[in-house]
Amino acid sequence: MPLTREDVAGIADYARIALTPEELDEMTAYMNSAIDLLEPIRQYDLEGVEPTFHPIGDLSNVMADDVPDEEVRHLSVDVALSNAGASRDRSFRVPSILGDQGGDR
Amino acid sequence: MANLDQLSAAQIAAGVASGDFTATEVARAALDAVDARDGEIRAFLQVSADLALAAAEATDKARAAGEKLGPLAGVPVAFKDNMHLVGTRTTCASKMLSNYESTFTATCVQRMLDAGATPVGKTNMDEFAFGSSTESSAFHPTANPWDTTRVPGGSSGGSAAAVAAGEVSVSLGSDTGGSIRQPASLCGVVGMKPTYGAVSRYGVVAFGSSLDQVGPFGRSVEDVALAMNALTAGGRDPWDSTSQPVDVDFLAHLDDPVEGRRVGVVPALMEAAGLTDEVRDAVTAAGCALQDQGAELVEVDLPNIASAIAAYYVIAPCEAFSNLARFDGVRYGYQEQGCATLAEQTSLSRAHGFGEEAKRRQMLGAYLLSSGTYDTYYYPAQQVRTLITADYARAYEKCDVILMPAAPRTAFKFGEMSDPTQMYASDLFTISNNIVGNGGVSVPLGLGATSGLPVSAQLQGPAFADATLLTFARAIERSFSPAGGAPVAPAFAGKGGELA
Repeated sequence: MPLTREDVAGIADYARIALTPEELDEMTAYMNSAIDLLEPIRQYDLEGVEPTFHPIGDLSNVMADDVPDEEVRHLSVDVALSNAGASRDRSFRVPSILGDQGGDR
Repeated sequence: MANLDQLSAAQIAAGVASGDFTATEVARAALDAVDARDGEIRAFLQVSADLALAAAEATDKARAAGEKLGPLAGVPVAFKDNMHLVGTRTTCASKMLSNYESTFTATCVQRMLDAGATPVGKTNMDEFAFGSSTESSAFHPTANPWDTTRVPGGSSGGSAAAVAAGEVSVSLGSDTGGSIRQPASLCGVVGMKPTYGAVSRYGVVAFGSSLDQVGPFGRSVEDVALAMNALTAGGRDPWDSTSQPVDVDFLAHLDDPVEGRRVGVVPALMEAAGLTDEVRDAVTAAGCALQDQGAELVEVDLPNIASAIAAYYVIAPCEAFSNLARFDGVRYGYQEQGCATLAEQTSLSRAHGFGEEAKRRQMLGAYLLSSGTYDTYYYPAQQVRTLITADYARAYEKCDVILMPAAPRTAFKFGEMSDPTQMYASDLFTISNNIVGNGGVSVPLGLGATSGLPVSAQLQGPAFADATLLTFARAIERSFSPAGGAPVAPAFAGKGGELA
């Protein structure tokens, strides 16, 4: 069943991408044509086939001791903030999270 | 004296080491070539003249002090603009990152610099590497140096064009579904996607984390081998948990004989829909050239490869959606002003910072990862990946490498591929190698009989057989490029870039 415009609006909301009404029309057409391209995946009988999520099969998490190391490369606070759209008090600054009730803008 | 574009990377490094010319003279010649050629090509998003001259000066001082120079001493290189280099912006050709200053240097970039390379600048690409033509760059298109009315391919189109136009000797790109091999093919240069894990991705903006791999472009197989040595020197990168140690000298194996070794050919791929006659004929001729050198051609089958595009367009958009969630307009990137809430700021920053294709891919990924569809597409796609991996493993029991096209046709006109899913389908020869994580290299075969534009062959190999790929690539080059490498696109050869 093809995706409707309303379905696509819901996905856009979830993906946090505001779409204009025209963009929503184009995106709905695109999504349905892209999903058609994926049809071969649904034609398989995959009973008993293990998935491969990653090309290096025996990869495991890399663990390190939780000890600060001055030699280790890290971002200073100043560098970390240097590309932020807004900052204050050595922190990232954002609009209210809760709407009208939430603090200053 | 010679024009820079007539020298290989190895010749430049040797000339700098022996004092025939200085690294600073080379850097000035490269900047002069960019100045004279890039107005038409537009391969570069930024030219880092200050960094180039400073690096060259350091190389010259090291030589004067009697220090041993690196294997890329003074060689002008360019980096795809998804690679961090302190002192440059890293934009991914997106409005989202148009002002983003690199906060550290990527390992792949650092290793090229450690080998003595001179950083000339950052190259254009499809936005966040989503595309096969470099047309989705938010800033400007890049022209194919062989015909400036046509695209250079993509997504690493700027890196391929810069080498094809002789602006630099070597460049780096990234390949998630063919983004090194396809533009190399369309621009008539050598482009290598090494095995997944062979080159560190630390500091390279992520697109598809189980697919992405960094690799070099050059006009000759030797220059690509030189770059591979630099990229893998120092072993595994502790800053990339997928990085693997590669302990091989790529240059040492270049002239290994191919006699008695087996080259797989997949008959179904040579009959694939969309493959043009001139590309098929050229790839067939490349097979004959390998045969003439004593290699044996054997038929192999990859029965599930027809599903690779479908599997890829499940896996890649899902991984892209996950990776690009970090662009929230808070810590870096485009930030919408005057929003009442954080949610509004996030949605509008992403709406106005990302271009069309970047939004499409993320929307597709968001849908495919939502509950209900995960079991219909995502999980089965990873199972199909197992089948494709098994196909390749069986094929490599019968052959050392597989020969096939890299791109189904030569460079197309700007705007010609207006339907995004049509563009996706053009990756049919490259995408399966990313799915399984193996290496592949695109090798120029001269100009197509019909189009007069560059055509190429692709060699694919088992995991970590990248040096073997270059052995076979060199064997093809011996037949098709007697001069030892591919020519600079004639309209740009010799424009600026004279070594003073």
